[in-house]
Amino acid sequence: MVFASIACSILGVIISRMNLSSIGFTMSHAAFAGAAIGMFLEINPQMTAIFFSVAVAALIGPVSDKAKMAADATLGVLFAMSMAVAIFLVSYMQYSGRGLSAGSLLFGNVISLYREDIYALAAVSALTIIFVLTFYKEITSIMFNMKIAEASGVRVKLIYYILLFIVAISVSLTLNIVGGLLIFVLLVTPASIASQFCFNVRSMFIAAPLVALSISAFGVWAGFEYTLPIAPLVALLLTSVFGVSVLVSFKRRINYKKY
Amino acid sequence: MSIIELEGIYTAYEGGDKPVIRGLSLSVNPGEYVVIGGPNSAGKTTLLESINGLVRITHGTASVCGLDLRRYGNEVRRKVGYVIQNFYFDPFTPFTVEEVVMMGRYGKMGLLNRPTRSDREAATEAIRLLGIEDLASKTIGTLSGGQQQKTMIAHNIAKEPEVLMLDEPFSNLDFNAREYLQGVFKSVAKKGTPVLLVSHAFDGLPDIRIHLVVMNKGRITYDGVCDAGEVESIIRKESGGGLRSSSF
Ligand SMILES: Nc1ncnc2c1ncn2[C@@H]1O[C@H](COP(=O)(O)OP(=O)(O)OP(=O)(O)O)[C@@H](O)[C@H]1O
Ligand SMILES: [Mg+2]
Repeated sequence: MVFASIACSILGVIISRMNLSSIGFTMSHAAFAGAAIGMFLEINPQMTAIFFSVAVAALIGPVSDKAKMAADATLGVLFAMSMAVAIFLVSYMQYSGRGLSAGSLLFGNVISLYREDIYALAAVSALTIIFVLTFYKEITSIMFNMKIAEASGVRVKLIYYILLFIVAISVSLTLNIVGGLLIFVLLVTPASIASQFCFNVRSMFIAAPLVALSISAFGVWAGFEYTLPIAPLVALLLTSVFGVSVLVSFKRRINYKKY
Repeated sequence: MSIIELEGIYTAYEGGDKPVIRGLSLSVNPGEYVVIGGPNSAGKTTLLESINGLVRITHGTASVCGLDLRRYGNEVRRKVGYVIQNFYFDPFTPFTVEEVVMMGRYGKMGLLNRPTRSDREAATEAIRLLGIEDLASKTIGTLSGGQQQKTMIAHNIAKEPEVLMLDEPFSNLDFNAREYLQGVFKSVAKKGTPVLLVSHAFDGLPDIRIHLVVMNKGRITYDGVCDAGEVESIIRKESGGGLRSSSF
């Protein structure tokens, strides 16, 4: 949970700046479809989830380049496709009376984590941090304006494709913990909270994971202490913090001074 | 050896029914001050974007800064400054003027390299040249249109380009700023860096020989050298006078 919130919130800062928030939806459903395929084929659903979401991530860039569509529209198309695959397989398995644990995919399960999952998530968080630190220059200039970045000679496509790839892996790994429905909260909400208070990207990259980390740590503790479902609890906590931060943000304060 | 050498180039946008630039040739030498005029939709912006490879050249040969443009687009973009015609930065854009100006050098620095002292000096110098020191730590989305335009010009000056292209850089600028910037561009050209200026406003052109290019419907209809004072009348004549010619 803790590692997942670090990776997702850092990526969220980039994604929400680039109007790519729906990538959270698409990737989580791609992972969901991948997991359904895994269950259907009776192989490790996590592996197929990662495989399928990486495949979808690899499609987003080229498809929107070719179709001359906004990446957002491509994400919508791929989202629908993934969802169709997932629902199709899940219903098929239901009809054929095969054991179904799709629920845990949708809602996640914080407790039934294997040690390997935690290692994988830690690795992905590290990968995300390294990615952002290594290509900080390029990432920030793409976040500023893609066309201006390209005109300045930054290799926009390369970075963009790497970004999609990392998001794909992070989302499909996180899926196991928070589930496909709540992953959006980890991707978008911490970044939105940070953007309420931060005037520059550097502070957003620091604030978003700190917020996500502390709230999810608190959520995990409270969940165990009072036996509450952890993932929805964290989602609710993050959303309420976002609500409060919109209310108190000084960025929205109007200066009534007359001098 | 010319810095820009275009030979019979055609460029087309994907999905466009006909090429936008049609069989255009142009050569630009070091230190030239090139003014590009012509009616709306003549293809001026498209020409600039083919020179730095943002728009794909479908036929013809093009070399910029000694590089084959069709193979080394990204390398060319690192050497060519380009102030785009239209931009919009929302008020929540989390970048300060200082950061945006520094970004002009990001491509040039190359992957993995951090800004060095000379990068910072170039950025500071560009900010000083544009007279926006007092805005340096403001976020760009909260500035006025003219202030944003100055920032984008500083972004490209900081890049220390080998060619400087400007697409309507004066559209948001007041009279004083225009005149001052014409002087800045003139001194850039004087140091040997050709300046390509697309504009519809010719007041305050520097008092030097101008390489004037007039475009219409994707072709060059005039390509010659003249004095600053003649620019407007030549463009008027080439455009056939009045609005009619451009509203085909
Ligand atoms: N992205 C695009 N896709 C398709 N066609 C385009 C695109 N951009 C420009 N065009 C077309 O190319 C032609 C030339 O456009 P361009 O922007 O180069 O004109 P311009 O000379 O810069 O005009 P203006 O003075 O209005 O800026 C126009 O007919 C326009 O419709
Ligand atoms: Mg134009």
